[in-house]
Amino acid sequence: MHRRGDIWTGVTGVAFALLAVLLIIPLGRLLWASLLGDDGGFTLKHYREFLAYPYYSRTIGHSFLVSGLVTLAALVVAVPVALLLARVDIPGKAVLKSLAILPLVSPPFIGAYSWILLFGRAGYVTTLLQKVGITIPTVYGMHGIVLALTLNLYPFVLLMVAGALQALDQSLEEAAQGLGSSPWRVFWTVTVPVTMPSVLGGALLVFLTAFADFGAPMIIGEGYLVLPTIVYSLFVNEMGGNPAMASTGATLLVVCTTAILLVQYWAVGRKRYAMTQLRPVPPVRPRPFVRGLLTGYASLVIGLSLVPAFVVAVTSFFESRGPVLYPNFSLGNYREVLFNVPRAITNSFALSSVSSLLDVLLGTLIAYLVVRRRSVATAALDSCVMIPYAIPGTVIGVAFIVAFNKPPIVLTGTFLILLLAYFVRRLPYSVRAGSAILHQIDPSVEEASISLGVSPLKSFAKVTARLMLPGIVSGGILTWVQTITEISATIFLYFGAWSTITVVIYRQVSSSNFGSAAAASTILLVAVFIPVLAVNWMMGERAVTAV
Amino acid sequence: MSTILTIEKVRKRYAEVEALAEVSLAVQGGEFFTLLGPSGCGKTTLLRCVAGFLRPDAGRILCNGERLDTLPAHLRDIGMVFQNYAIFPHLTVFENVAYGLRARRVPPAELRQRAIEALRLVQMEPLANRSPDQLSGGQQQRVALARAMAIRPRLLLMDEPLSNLDAKLRVEMRTEIRRLQRELGITTIYVTHDQEEALAISERLAVMNAGRVEQVGFPWDVYQAPTSAFVAQFIGASNALTGSLTGPDGGWVGVDVGGGWILRARPAEGLAGRVLVVFRPEAVELLPEGGNIPGATLGEGVVASREFLGAILRYYLRLADGSLIHLDEHKPDPTGLRKEGERVRFAVRPADVMLFPAEG
Repeated sequence: MHRRGDIWTGVTGVAFALLAVLLIIPLGRLLWASLLGDDGGFTLKHYREFLAYPYYSRTIGHSFLVSGLVTLAALVVAVPVALLLARVDIPGKAVLKSLAILPLVSPPFIGAYSWILLFGRAGYVTTLLQKVGITIPTVYGMHGIVLALTLNLYPFVLLMVAGALQALDQSLEEAAQGLGSSPWRVFWTVTVPVTMPSVLGGALLVFLTAFADFGAPMIIGEGYLVLPTIVYSLFVNEMGGNPAMASTGATLLVVCTTAILLVQYWAVGRKRYAMTQLRPVPPVRPRPFVRGLLTGYASLVIGLSLVPAFVVAVTSFFESRGPVLYPNFSLGNYREVLFNVPRAITNSFALSSVSSLLDVLLGTLIAYLVVRRRSVATAALDSCVMIPYAIPGTVIGVAFIVAFNKPPIVLTGTFLILLLAYFVRRLPYSVRAGSAILHQIDPSVEEASISLGVSPLKSFAKVTARLMLPGIVSGGILTWVQTITEISATIFLYFGAWSTITVVIYRQVSSSNFGSAAAASTILLVAVFIPVLAVNWMMGERAVTAV
Repeated sequence: MSTILTIEKVRKRYAEVEALAEVSLAVQGGEFFTLLGPSGCGKTTLLRCVAGFLRPDAGRILCNGERLDTLPAHLRDIGMVFQNYAIFPHLTVFENVAYGLRARRVPPAELRQRAIEALRLVQMEPLANRSPDQLSGGQQQRVALARAMAIRPRLLLMDEPLSNLDAKLRVEMRTEIRRLQRELGITTIYVTHDQEEALAISERLAVMNAGRVEQVGFPWDVYQAPTSAFVAQFIGASNALTGSLTGPDGGWVGVDVGGGWILRARPAEGLAGRVLVVFRPEAVELLPEGGNIPGATLGEGVVASREFLGAILRYYLRLADGSLIHLDEHKPDPTGLRKEGERVRFAVRPADVMLFPAEG
């Protein structure tokens, strides 16, 4: 029974208030800043300027070009491997799939940095080839961004397509065969159309993530600016920055990502095929030689995406002097990081732990409201809470500065602004994780508890929340992982003592302190990989959907 | 026996649909009462109003004269068995049954004794320490039953509890549920869409349709003397023909059902013109060559098809006007089988032919 004014009404109110303060006000202020002329009046001058000067406007084209190429490359790399993992009997399949999750949780800027270590001006491979008289083009610029992002993001396509192929019931293909189709025709008329929504879904996810990424283009793009990086450089310009133009760029960035999301919704949203699966298609077992070849190929692709982590880890134990690295074992880099910036490490752990905890708490309650207490208000809440999903970190960064650097709310320079930015960015993921589990728990279990004499609130805690716990914990860990690797909003919002490990890595790479950057990156990757592998082991296949 | 549960003019409306349109019922203490009807008839809505998971838009629900509908669900002291059992998957069998007792702060020794007693009643005592995922559907059903009974509720509500079990187990469990209910004397309200199950298990039943109660009565009466065409056709198998009244015919009334065939039927008050004629398959009997049954209406038809169902042989007959009726032959004689396409004569006893207003 649902009474007015119960605790859930309070939760709805708090959620709306938080979203208003942390989303609506900052985004409103951002839009306002982009429309405010020097005389304090309304103007479209900044938009005209942004679109008129190639220095600004080309970044829009760059962003679309880079994201398009990354998506294309990801499809080419991922789809064949997905087919192999789903349909061919390959040894160590489970291990390969777990490893494929790791690139998704490693921040792209570490990937970019490691490709510089290999192929940059003083890169290992570059210098090695120079010694034998071969000069290769450097990795900086567009192709570097595409390389780094592709190897980071293709597992989205890989895991989604492999999942869809495995969810396909054997009877479907058998039915097509029984109707007289050749295996080749079955593949093109049944398998491909049914998995197409997942291919598209994965591709658009890659596109959106690449479009919003700030770290990789910042580190490896050099002169090749994309939307997120031009917003940043407009903001921290040596002439004191140009908040109005930065706000304009950020607004255009949101417009683009929202459009991409709408395309995704329109193209994939309704076309998921629900299937009751009884038997997956059994994998084929090819001749030993072919099997070895295919296994090698799958391992090579997945291994390639783990090269950055490996390179960074090895480099972290080299002796270093600025950009020059000596292949002698040394713990000097770790000493430097741990003694010079211990605060950044503790900041990162503390901020991401607290914000993830808050996400999990509010996310679980909102998920419950949205799934179990359907009303006009909770439906509206469901839509509002998903807004951050469309907003790149760069935009959150600019919007928070614009909104919270003057009264009534002044947060700039405090840890609170980082905490709140992290919290609001990851809230949609917690709500989705919560509602996904909730859909698997029958409401009657909670009703059974109520009818046995336990009050509704206690029933929620004793039964529903308890049953949600495993999902909540793994969802929380994934939120934590995404938060601790955050750079795009952090770079705007950190201040003095409230620097984070990602900022340290970025600054060390920028000032060519490659050794300590590698040590800091390794610490971050280890902190991220261990819990992700643990969740993967705990939840098995479901972890993939959670990511 | 006295009335324990009174439902007075309860209404419930979902956005577009009238789920309950002024339903009134009275359930006697210790009674096994069934709400029977097709899906969407409002039976589950009514049950959930009694349980407290839904609040009626209008009307009152009283238990022993005390208002029930204003009480929060967890204070109603009503046991409920759900269609999907709703076993707590994180608790053992014992803890599932003890759950309601813990909420009532029953002292440990008594709690243990009462939970074990409830498990013994459903023969699940040996599995007390199992986790629910080790149980079969039937076993989970027993645990759900024990859990609901352990709190000694004023009322036991059961929402299609057998619908997820296979046919054989369903019959076994319904016998067992009835036995337990008799032993413990718990007033039980049972919801089902299965008319055979309802007839077998209920002391009294209410047939519901489109948010209304069509008829309340003992299973025998509801089957033999349905008060509406809906009840007549929903309960048991039946043949339905439309026709027009021709007037009194001896103690009966004649109905012209087409093809020149006049069928005699039980007189019904207030009927004129077009009527719906309903009779059960057992009211029809195939006649041997030249045979006759005094007082019965004789008819002719062609065997359209037949089904062998073990104990009975079912014939579908095509009548002169093209309509189809069926009849059951019990203990079928393999030598006297009628072939498809064969012309046959049959008799219908007028006392078993019911008339209702024609629809529309």
